[in-house]
Parts: sequence; structure tokens; C-alpha cells
Amino acid sequence: MDYSTLRRQITFMKKSFFDQGYLDEQFNQLEELQDESSPNFVEEVVALFLKDSPRLLTNIEHTIGKYPQDFHRLDSLVHQLKGSGSSIGAVRMKNECSVFKAHCNDKNLEGCRRSLQRMKREHATLKQKLESYFQLLRQVAPREHAVNSRK
Amino acid sequence: MLLDAMMMEPRKGLMGRERERDQFPVGMRVLAVDDDRVCLKVLEGLLRRCQYHVTTTNQAITALKLLRENKDMFDLVISDVHMPDMDGFKLLELVGLEMDLPVIMLSVNGETKTVLKGITHGACDYLLKPVRIEELRNVWQHVVRRKFSNRETNNLDFSKEYSKHPTTDSYHGLSQVASGSSDQGGSRASKKRKEPHREEEDEDEGDDNDNDAQDNDEPSGSKKPRVVWSVELHRKFVAAVNHLGIDKAVPKRILELMNVEKLTRENVASHLQKYRLYLRRLSVVASQQASIAAVFGGRDPFLHMGAFEGLPSYQPFASSAGIPSFNPHGLLSGVGTAAFGLQDLAPSKAIQCASSNGAVSHCIGDTNKFHIANLQENQQANLAQGLTAPLGQPQLQQKWIHQETSDLSSFFSGSALANTMSGTLQRVTSSSLPPVELLECTQIKVGAHSSIRIPPASSGLLERSVGLSPNLQDSSISQQCAIPIDDRFSVNKLPLHIPFVDVSTTKLDASFVAPEQDMDQKGKFPERVTVLPSESLIAADRSKCGTRSSGSTMLLLSDTERHSKYLKFGVASNSRHGIDEMVNGSFNYNGGASVPEQNDVYDFGNSKLHGGFNSSSCNFDGLLNSIIKVENDDVPFADNDLGCELFPLGACI
Repeated sequence: MDYSTLRRQITFMKKSFFDQGYLDEQFNQLEELQDESSPNFVEEVVALFLKDSPRLLTNIEHTIGKYPQDFHRLDSLVHQLKGSGSSIGAVRMKNECSVFKAHCNDKNLEGCRRSLQRMKREHATLKQKLESYFQLLRQVAPREHAVNSRK
Repeated sequence: MLLDAMMMEPRKGLMGRERERDQFPVGMRVLAVDDDRVCLKVLEGLLRRCQYHVTTTNQAITALKLLRENKDMFDLVISDVHMPDMDGFKLLELVGLEMDLPVIMLSVNGETKTVLKGITHGACDYLLKPVRIEELRNVWQHVVRRKFSNRETNNLDFSKEYSKHPTTDSYHGLSQVASGSSDQGGSRASKKRKEPHREEEDEDEGDDNDNDAQDNDEPSGSKKPRVVWSVELHRKFVAAVNHLGIDKAVPKRILELMNVEKLTRENVASHLQKYRLYLRRLSVVASQQASIAAVFGGRDPFLHMGAFEGLPSYQPFASSAGIPSFNPHGLLSGVGTAAFGLQDLAPSKAIQCASSNGAVSHCIGDTNKFHIANLQENQQANLAQGLTAPLGQPQLQQKWIHQETSDLSSFFSGSALANTMSGTLQRVTSSSLPPVELLECTQIKVGAHSSIRIPPASSGLLERSVGLSPNLQDSSISQQCAIPIDDRFSVNKLPLHIPFVDVSTTKLDASFVAPEQDMDQKGKFPERVTVLPSESLIAADRSKCGTRSSGSTMLLLSDTERHSKYLKFGVASNSRHGIDEMVNGSFNYNGGASVPEQNDVYDFGNSKLHGGFNSSSCNFDGLLNSIIKVENDDVPFADNDLGCELFPLGACI
């Protein structure tokens, strides 16, 4: 694939993330933070997220199984996931975390379970999308910064 | 990469740092703490973009270690609230207590109650994740503000030897320079030392020692090493203060009890001031929460309070203080308003206190005063002493007021007594009565229900603690006041040892006690605090004084010169005097012209008092009543028979 095609593809992909609500403005902020001193900032942050969040999700699932009534603990775990998700602009994940927290508040275990399932799906989708995105970026990286201003 | 960059910073060398610091806020040294790696990384990126020096850690314990190793290594701390190894609020407390650095809290959770908790624990700001860079670009103001407030205090103290500036000076003086560059502050501090504030305070209060504990770079030509108030040292301090009794806790005695080498009386006095303010703040916060809704209006004492915060003229504050007190709600609201306004003016501390506490504290203070006035004919010495010290500093007064206010609000939580006492203390100070006496009186009265010893220093502490307790006690006090509590004094300076009340007020949430405080301290503290308020509340209820009586009292008081003295809050030049002014202010609004306003306020407050203020309101009434009663000989309170006696506050309960 030639460079310009790649770039177009990247741009398009990123736009779709926003349009479909996977990412929000925060992601742009991250990109703006990327510069010469931290050329792969966004990718690093996202990589960190994709590495830590599965662990959190597993923890949540595990906690639901082991301490099904410990909503405080569940809330605590989801709180963290919400924090990191919102830090990278993963808006769908963040929203789902809010839903989960609401269920915790209501002590609705079943609601929590369902929410967790949705969260896992969202996470999987996001992970796949972002990984493809960065893969493309890496292909154009040698030529430019992986900073794409939203057009 | 980033990590390397991060590590490069320490290697930058002093020169580089110095250069950067000259371009403040560029190069401002920030310590970022967040257990979530993603958030931490993003935060770091943002901070670097703002051209700050960033050090990150995802463990609160590591952060503390770093801070303790070298206090001057950082200008600002940004911490997440939710961390597994240590609660963000605890870290906040500790940092404020030990290092006196501005701390900004971060969280995904933006609920009012959590934000409030952050504030009452001393956070200078509370940001929501994801943090925007615009927000971070402004955080340097917190560092500057702290320095400024420190400086101001020093300046004020210096210029107003005899505390014409009750609140600001002491208040500011108390705040230590946050970052290393405190030369100016230091010099001012030294000047302060040169001019003994202690006017006629018999006790060598720590008026002049705000700076002692600070970076006193050139105190009278000799450099004093900065005293680090470690948790351990603070514990000793609090123990000594408690042992002496709040009204008798004067720096000299405290120092003797503490028996710490190389600690000077000035250090202790300075710390004592802070402690008192801290207590007061706590109580203010508590009261604020209760009454934060009240809207005072333009002439609210609170607004004035703000004035005293940073303005030389304390008077406005005084007047404002007076009125609000009667009207818990009003006060609080007024205070709140003032507070908000004030914040801009002066260090958050003073203002905040003023806003919420102002009202409450004033009332209480006034009430106490009246009480004390009567009671103390002979006990002046004690109270005076106790009060003098804190009052000496305008700040203290201010804080006291604040704290009192908060105390009022925290009556719920049990800080009522503290408030009362503080109020008393304040009164005492302002009035000619020796603070100590006031304290005693207050104690007697307020502590009717229990042997609440509120050491003079502790009064502030009480307030502070009280303030804390309200926070912690979810049940008792719905802290809603958003008044930012002085970072320094909030939580960090928990008056662990204040034996406020015997009554077990178990409610206090131990969590707000500094994490590292002894458990017993914690236990003690909360208990005490809680009890107080309830008792006062009850008393207040019984008295049914309401604002009316207060109002009348106030009017009456204003008639009396003596009362006027009491009434004047905080305007006084020296601590005592200041209190007088403050008291006067509260009641008189600068002389009586305000009386009508007061009435209005009272009326306003009245409804509120009985309405939303809950126990706080009651407390006011009760206190007021007691005070009024006390003042019977001086003022014809008869018509206002408040009905409640300060003395048997406990009994009421």
C-alpha cells in the first residue's frame, strides 16, 4: 500500500472511531501531546491501557464470582477501569463503566454481570480497532509522526 | 523514552533547575501520584506539555517517601483519590501536615461529597479525569498562592504588630511557604519575630512565630533551621496541648512538655496557631456544610470576612462575622459567598474559614464571649492566655472564627463545643478578657456536658478537628460546604489529642484522622468532636434563642461597650483586641449601624437557623443564649431570654 493510501486509511479509520463513539476528544488530546520528545506517546498509552484493562476486567469478573455481594469492591475496580478508559478517550468503555457503577449502587448483581459482558465486548472491539490503527500508523511512522490531526 | 526523560530531570542539575525556576511556572516541580498507569502516563504527558518538571509514581507510599526525603524537591503534588495502597485523602493530609505543599486531587469521581472531602482535607484543587491540559496549565497558581499567603502573613504581622489585622496576618503567617523559594517570606518572618506581636498577651503566644516554623531565612539576622513538623512531633505537640488544656496551652508550656531538643517556643507558637486555625477550619467546614445554602447578601459579615482574610482592615470582617453567627444559615451562606470571593483574595485558608465558619464561629464566638464575659471575670488569665496566643495572630482569629463557624456547623458532628469554645476564645481575645479565661469560661459552659478541655490552642484544633469530623462523619454532617479549607490546616493537623468531650462521639470517622496518627488519637478525637456539637445543639434547641435572641443580644451587646468589644471579631490589632473587634463586628457591623442589618440577617438566619442548619443553628442559639445569660449583668438580655444556658449544654443533651 502506498503512503498516501495508508494515510487516507488511517485518517478514515480514526474518523470512524470518533463517529462510532469509540473514542472521544481525549484521544485528540493525547495525540497533541505527542511530539519529538515522545514520538509514540499515544501508542504507548494505548498499549498500556490494553495491557492493564484486561487484568481489571478479569478482576471484576473474578470478584463478581467470589464476592458477589461486595459491591463496594466491584465499584472500586470499575472505578479504576473508568479512570483509565476515560484517560485515553475510550468513551464507550467509560460509559459502560458508569452503567456498571450504577448497578453497583443499586446492588443489582445481575445488572453488573450484564454490564460486565458488554464491557468485555466493548473492550475487545476497541482493542482490535486500536491495534489495527497503530499497525497502520507504524507503517507510515518512519515518514512522519503518528500525529494525525482530526480533519 | 519518557521514562528516560523523566530520569533526566534529576540529573539536570541545580543550575538547570534554578534557571527553570526563574521562569516559573516553567519548571515547576510536580509530583504526580496515581496507581493507574494509564492515567499516570497521560498526566505526565500533560504536565510535561505545560513545561513542568514531572516526577511520577504509582504508589502513594513512594510519593511520601520522596517528599519526606527532601521537602524542597517539589512545588506541587497531584494525586489520585482512589489508590489501593493509601487513600488519596490520607496522602493529602500527610503532605499538608508534614510538607505544607499544595496538593491537587484527581479523580474520575466528581461527586460533590467527594470533592468536598478533598477540600476539607486540604486539597487546593480537585480535578476530574480525564484532566484537560488547560486545567493543568493553571495549577501553578496554587503554589504561588501558598507562597503569597505566607508572605502576606509575615508582612501583615510585621506591619501590624498589635494585630490590627487579626485574620490575615496570623492566617498567612501560619501557612508555610510551600516551595523552597521563601526568602521573602523568611525575611518577613524574621521581621515578625523582631516585632513581638505579643502585645500584652501575657502568654508568649506564638504570634510571632508563625515564621518560626517556617523558612526563617533571616530572622533578626540569624538563620533558624526550618522545623519540620513530622507526624511524631505533631503528636507530641497535640499531646502536650491536650495535656495542658486548650486554654492553658501556651507555647512555653507546650514546649516544656514536648521536651524536644532544638525546638523553640516560637516554633511551637507558630505551630499552635496553625493548629488552632486548623481546628477552626474543621469546624467551619462542618458548619459550612450545614449552612452553605444560606445566602447572606451583600453585607454579609462573611463577605467581610473575606476582607479580613487578606485585607489589613479587619473590621469588615468583624462586623460580618458577628451577624452571621446568629444566623447559621445566613452565616454560612454569607460565609460561603465571602469565602468564594475571598478565595481569590487570599489564601484559601482564611477565606474559607471565614465563609463558612465566619458565620458560625462568630456566633459561637460571640456567644461564648458573652458567656465568658460573665463567667470569666476571674478566669481571664487562663483564657486570655489560651486565646491570646492564637488570637495574637490575625490569622488565628480569623481561623478561629472560621473554625468556630465550622464548629457550629459541625455541631452536628460534635464540634459544637469546639466552636463555642473557639468562639469564646475569640471573644476573649477580642475582649479585654484574657483569652484563657474565655476558654475556661467556654469550657465550662460549653463543656458542661462533658469535660471538654479545649486548650486554647486546641480551640483552633477543635475547630479543625471538628471540621474534619463533619467531613468524616457522613452521618452527622452533610458537608456540603465547598469552602476550601486551608490546605495546611485541614486534616493534616488533626488535633488528635484534643479531649474535647468525654462523651463518646464515636461517630467521627477515623479516616480523617491522619493516617499515621495513633489510633487512640483518632478514637479520641472523633469522639470528642462529635459530642460537642450534639450537646450544643440540644442546648441550642432548648434555648430556642434563635436569631431573635441573638439579634437582640447583639443589639444589646452593641450597647455595651464591653460587649462591643466582644462583638468585634477579629478586627483587633492584637489577638485580644482583634477578638473584640471581631465580636463587635459580628454584632455590630461596625458600630451599630449594622444592627438593623443584623436584624435582617438574623431574621433571615432565624428561619434558617431553625431550618436547615440543624444542630448548628441550635448551637448558635444555645450558645448565644448562654452567652446572653452570661452577659446578663451587662446587658439586659432579659427580654431575650434565650432560655438556653451555655453551661448545661451537656445537660441539654
